[in-house]
Amino acid sequence: MSVDTAAPGAITPRPGSAPLLNVEGVTRHFTVSGTRIDVLHDCTFQVERGEVVAIVGQSGSGKSTLLNLLGLLDRPSGGTYTFDGVDTTRLGEGPRSRLRGEGVGFVFQQFHLLERRTALANVGVPMVLGGVPLLRRRARARELLEAVGLEHRLHSQPHQLSGGEQQRVALARALSREPALILADEPTGALDAASSTMIMEQLLEQARIRDAAVVVVTHDPRVAARTDRVVELVEGRTR
Amino acid sequence: MLRSLTAGIVLAFAGSRANVARTILSCAGIVVGVGALVMVVTASDLGQRFATAYSEANAGRPATLQVTVFGQVTDRAAFEEDLLRAGGQDISVYHTPSETPMVRSGGSVVPEVQFLGVDTALGDIRRMNMAEGRWFTEADAESLAPVMVVNQPLADTLGDLTRVQVGTDQWMDVRVVGVLESSALDLGWYSAYLLRSPASDDLLFGSSSGTGGEGEEEGGPFAMMGTQTTYQVRIDPRDPAAQDPWGEVFTERLASASWRWGIEDTESISSHRADYAEEVEEIITYMSWGLTGIAVITLTTGLLGVLNVGLVTVRERRRELATYRALGASRSTLFVAVVMESVVVSLVAGIIALAGCWAAVTAGGAVLERFVSLPDDVPLNIPASGVLVGLGSAALVGLLAGIIPAMRALRASVVAGLRE
Repeated sequence: MSVDTAAPGAITPRPGSAPLLNVEGVTRHFTVSGTRIDVLHDCTFQVERGEVVAIVGQSGSGKSTLLNLLGLLDRPSGGTYTFDGVDTTRLGEGPRSRLRGEGVGFVFQQFHLLERRTALANVGVPMVLGGVPLLRRRARARELLEAVGLEHRLHSQPHQLSGGEQQRVALARALSREPALILADEPTGALDAASSTMIMEQLLEQARIRDAAVVVVTHDPRVAARTDRVVELVEGRTR
Repeated sequence: MLRSLTAGIVLAFAGSRANVARTILSCAGIVVGVGALVMVVTASDLGQRFATAYSEANAGRPATLQVTVFGQVTDRAAFEEDLLRAGGQDISVYHTPSETPMVRSGGSVVPEVQFLGVDTALGDIRRMNMAEGRWFTEADAESLAPVMVVNQPLADTLGDLTRVQVGTDQWMDVRVVGVLESSALDLGWYSAYLLRSPASDDLLFGSSSGTGGEGEEEGGPFAMMGTQTTYQVRIDPRDPAAQDPWGEVFTERLASASWRWGIEDTESISSHRADYAEEVEEIITYMSWGLTGIAVITLTTGLLGVLNVGLVTVRERRRELATYRALGASRSTLFVAVVMESVVVSLVAGIIALAGCWAAVTAGGAVLERFVSLPDDVPLNIPASGVLVGLGSAALVGLLAGIIPAMRALRASVVAGLRE
């Protein structure tokens, strides 16, 4: 069953042969106390629609910075980043937020669920931001929670859920607006082995069903092994 | 923009519901401030309505003048004509008989009744709240028996109002056509209005009334002082004479033709503004401004409380707010959400304050009614303006207290927030 979660004025995806993500010579540096710190150097890679890519690298190699750029949470210092045919480096703050809401689903290591809200409410948040009406929102959230096996936890709050369950709620939330890209930052980093396996299985299955691309930042070689391709970051450079 | 607004409002409501403790803490100061403001508005409204009702019932509607002529008016018809020419719209004689008659019904005699001889027009000059029957009509002036309207205590004491008699040296049948409502507005204990008519002339003015003078005491050095004619006159409130509390303008108008009704000494004509609702309302307004100032200070303290809680929680909620941004919230949505949370909290406080005020006013009204009966048109309740001021001030405080935390929330880094 598919539920239309698009809202009026949505940025229209541009399906076609062009890659979903096109990162061209992206750099990112920060200035701390007058000292320039270069985190990313000339990063170039592409991600196709429906492709599953792992970004691996040592701590401090710039994985999270790259993920923030891909998720439109941050802007590159140089180079271009095209998302679904849209040059994001030229976008203003409003359209970036809209593109992020419509096109990107996030799964964080620490889940980032909203406390004192039920699983249903948490999954509904991106749809609230997308202007999806209440009844449709609730139906869609229920459907997604059922899809990740949490039909018995609809009204549970985060503190009443295990780590694995919380991450499944976060996954349902990431899928709520049918994004073309799911960004997962160490999605299994806070979970035990059994939960990690389950989360990865569900993440990849749900992405496959929806033809969504997945970019996973991970240290875990077992996670990286389940992806189509691995992009390695070494001292801020892609390999 | 609309989507940002609606999304912000939905998130704000969800946030307020989710953070009950924060909401309650923020509410306290505003509840007190808004409550104080609503009570000031309610008290001021009640005071003004009561002052108006009291003045209109006991002294006349705006603008009523009491005109007194110390001396013998030789031609009452000419005098009344001049009262109208001078600007009077409604005129009524206003005469206390020099010899107060007694009243009885059956065997029970009621002494010490305050009698006033009046014309039908007094019903237009003053607010007459009838409990039973009616006020005088023009047809009553043709009645063969004197016609009376009595107040509730007198009616209760008399009992049977169909057998009422009045008299000084001999009893005379009178017709009671109405009973005035008893309320906090009553001045006298037993009072009766007697309609001026041929049938009541002797009762009101004595047997020498044919000359037009009333209560005169012929001969002796105090004869002039004892001869007094009093009228109540309602003029247009926009008339310049209405702006003159001492009635000099109106007196001058009358004095110019006083020879027509036998008054040579214009000093013996006196008039003054009888109704006083405007003055009392003005005093109440000044007092209300003072009390409003105090309430506003209290409300400002509440505002600072909400602002403080807002600033602290924005800092504590950096991760939550960053999550919203990551999930697609625009800056304007986040701004609206934070401001609206503050507005929602304040409105909740405003509603609590209104409920508290309503309970206090209801309880106060119940206690007050044991001691004094308010007229029907002066109900003890929170006026619509009080509700409007309460909710409006609460929303305004919420808006003001939400803006600074909202700006702080926008300045915070999304990436740093997600790392927390």
